[in-house]
Amino acid sequence: MIIITLQRDKCIGCNYCVELAPEFFRMSKKDGKCTLLHAVEKKGFHTARTPFEHAEEPLQAAAKACPVKIIKIKPL
Amino acid sequence: MSSIELMSPAGSFESLQAAIDNGADSVYFGIEQLNMRAVSSINFTLEDLPEIVARCKPKGIHTYITLNTILYDHDMTLMRGIVDEAARCGVSAIIAADHAAIAYARQKGMAVHLSTQANVTNVETLRFYSMFADTMVLSRELSLNQVKKIVEAVERENICGPSGKPVQVEIFAHGALCMAVSGKCYLSLHTHNSSANRGACRQNCRQKYYVTDEDGNELMIDNEYIMSPKDLCVIDILDQVLDTGVRVLKIEGRGRSADYVAVTTRCYREAIDSYYEGTYSKEKVENWLERLATVYNRGFWNGYYLGQELGEWTEDHPGSHATQKKVYLGPGLGYFPKAGIGHFRIEAYDLKVGDPVLITGPTTGVQYHTIHEMMVDEKPTIAAVRGEEVTFPVPFKIRPSDKLYKLVQSED
Repeated sequence: MIIITLQRDKCIGCNYCVELAPEFFRMSKKDGKCTLLHAVEKKGFHTARTPFEHAEEPLQAAAKACPVKIIKIKPL
Repeated sequence: MSSIELMSPAGSFESLQAAIDNGADSVYFGIEQLNMRAVSSINFTLEDLPEIVARCKPKGIHTYITLNTILYDHDMTLMRGIVDEAARCGVSAIIAADHAAIAYARQKGMAVHLSTQANVTNVETLRFYSMFADTMVLSRELSLNQVKKIVEAVERENICGPSGKPVQVEIFAHGALCMAVSGKCYLSLHTHNSSANRGACRQNCRQKYYVTDEDGNELMIDNEYIMSPKDLCVIDILDQVLDTGVRVLKIEGRGRSADYVAVTTRCYREAIDSYYEGTYSKEKVENWLERLATVYNRGFWNGYYLGQELGEWTEDHPGSHATQKKVYLGPGLGYFPKAGIGHFRIEAYDLKVGDPVLITGPTTGVQYHTIHEMMVDEKPTIAAVRGEEVTFPVPFKIRPSDKLYKLVQSED
């Protein structure tokens, strides 16, 4: 299991996460920020889970590439 | 009253109010993330727009939104939303560089200012953009001679913007300079994936660098800050600058604090006014330079305006060379309007009679004051320490959103 969190309000809309992990992120055409798919929002933090361990590599790449460091990946 | 427009940066409500109170003719600010200070300044939201316009419009101060990053397809809705809301709230113009933003703003009848990101360096480019923009900032890399020739061509050939009036030429007068041409820098993108052109510059150029060869031998270089230019300042050559015929002087610094905005705006206001009154003098310039040095700066130079070939680089240490620094003491608690007494809590350091202080807040802006007398527990005292509540007379209202700072001389 991997837990993904996104502090969405700080997103500057660079699109890197969508390039690197398109199965998990989409750019919102509404406000130009990225959206973590199937996530639950609590106090500005959006959290999603995936059982697929092979997703860790692209997710870590997205977290690393994020210029404002708002993506956190936690493998359980 | 001069016909020169002094444009000040507003990265927060504190800075906005400081610009208004200190003589700015116009202010520019970012909304949401589509501006060149997306990360380094707080940035306003769409909900803040009516308040910003309400503070500026009654005083005849123009308001400009910076919408000048490169834009992707997913940014279009937000970009359009910002332009629509700007038009609805009565914002004066949109500062843009991406053609999508320029085209949409024009479609909505919004005035467009061409951003430095468009890098206008010649008359023909200015003529091209005159189809869309009434005001254009020229590249910071031009000399004053080149600026003057462009201004003269606008007048001679009557190059008009969409408003039907001749294009207004703007230049940067004061503030940070970038090592790259008109901010088109990719260093931050290469090292941190963090694009300066999306407002997320990591300021690689401001760091100290050593040069070593492939064998590990360090090369002798005069300056470790080989990529960090000093700050632009033209107050000492303002007569030459205004003689070029430019109409708008822009102060850089949306990422800087409100006291920087207050001091730079006030100094340039005085300098522009004294130029037109015929009282611009060497003595005044020295006084302005001294005051400008009290707030954030990396040392000053005239930029490329006098035709200097190479940049002048930051010396001694990174960051600010300000001669003064502000030490946070505590928050405002309230104000007794009849007596004209401000009430504060000291949460750090101490406050003494005779101390110069700075009080800043989103509505207060920036106010300077010197403590002549004060009271703790309703008894006169000469010093207040951490944990105490202090009252002293101030000639302006104090609000709970205000912060009290003591001004001290920097050690170096």
